[in-house]
Amino acid sequence: MTNSHQYQNELALDRFALRITARLSDATNELPYDISERLRAARVQALGKRKITAINTAFSVSASGNAASLTFGNEHLSWWDRVATAIPLLVLALGLIAINIIQNDNHANEIAEIDSALLTDDLPPTAYTDPGFAQFLKLSVGPNQ
Amino acid sequence: MATEQELSDFLKSVEKRAFKRSVYHVRNEESALDIVQDSMMKLAEHYGHKPAAELPMLFQRILSNCTLDWFRRQKTRNALFSNMSDFDSAGEDGEFDLLETLNVQNHSDQTESAESATQRAQTLLEIETEIQELPTRQREAFLMRYWEELDVAETAVAMGCSEGSVKTHCSRAVHALGKALKAKGITL
Repeated sequence: MTNSHQYQNELALDRFALRITARLSDATNELPYDISERLRAARVQALGKRKITAINTAFSVSASGNAASLTFGNEHLSWWDRVATAIPLLVLALGLIAINIIQNDNHANEIAEIDSALLTDDLPPTAYTDPGFAQFLKLSVGPNQ
Repeated sequence: MATEQELSDFLKSVEKRAFKRSVYHVRNEESALDIVQDSMMKLAEHYGHKPAAELPMLFQRILSNCTLDWFRRQKTRNALFSNMSDFDSAGEDGEFDLLETLNVQNHSDQTESAESATQRAQTLLEIETEIQELPTRQREAFLMRYWEELDVAETAVAMGCSEGSVKTHCSRAVHALGKALKAKGITL
């Protein structure tokens, strides 16, 4: 009986409260034009803020200390995703090392070819006029004797 | 995640009520507009990615916090410049231009008689005055629960208190309003 009475009382309170808020809602729909416009402008500005945030979260660069890293928004990347993002960097590093080795080999081969060509070629007569070559001959002949 | 359209629709649906609620709290239209704008921007910036269903409660909480921040700033300002504030005029507090209201209503409802429009405006003014007279927590609970149509649990989360407290605040607010309006001879 008491519970039923309480429930009825609560219902009556709710109904009365809703009648009051209905009056408030009526008044709200009749806000002055300038206030409605300023609210609309505020809404548009707020939505613009959201856009900027959305772009920033899509692809952002975060820097900490001396290191900077690329992050993909606020997504929580799994272990495999992290490995996958490191693969291009790994491939780039390996590529650079391979290019360096090949360049060194090519350079060594070129020098070897020049040396072998010089050694196997006939000695030009002008070489004997070179004082350095004459000295070389003197030194290389000396010990054999 | 709420789409931009959903967020826009949501803000559109709550902005006017939020403005009026802020006016009831701070009793100043300019400040109320600032508070609503701040709240909208904070919601869009920090919670724009949340599901649309969570937006109402988040917005109410942000609005409450922005209003509290405003009161804190006012308190600091008043403490610093207490003498200056003594010279401030009453501003818009309690002032009501009946002609303005009538003008608006004539545009919105051509068939309504001048007498009933005046009476309606007068009743609304009395209601708004009484709502402003309520203690802050009671006013907040009452407006969230019955105007924003949040349920008790949502109101409790938005206000950061227990559901029991929400029920108590609402009940006291409705009783106080009922008593005050009855004393003024207003029946709804």
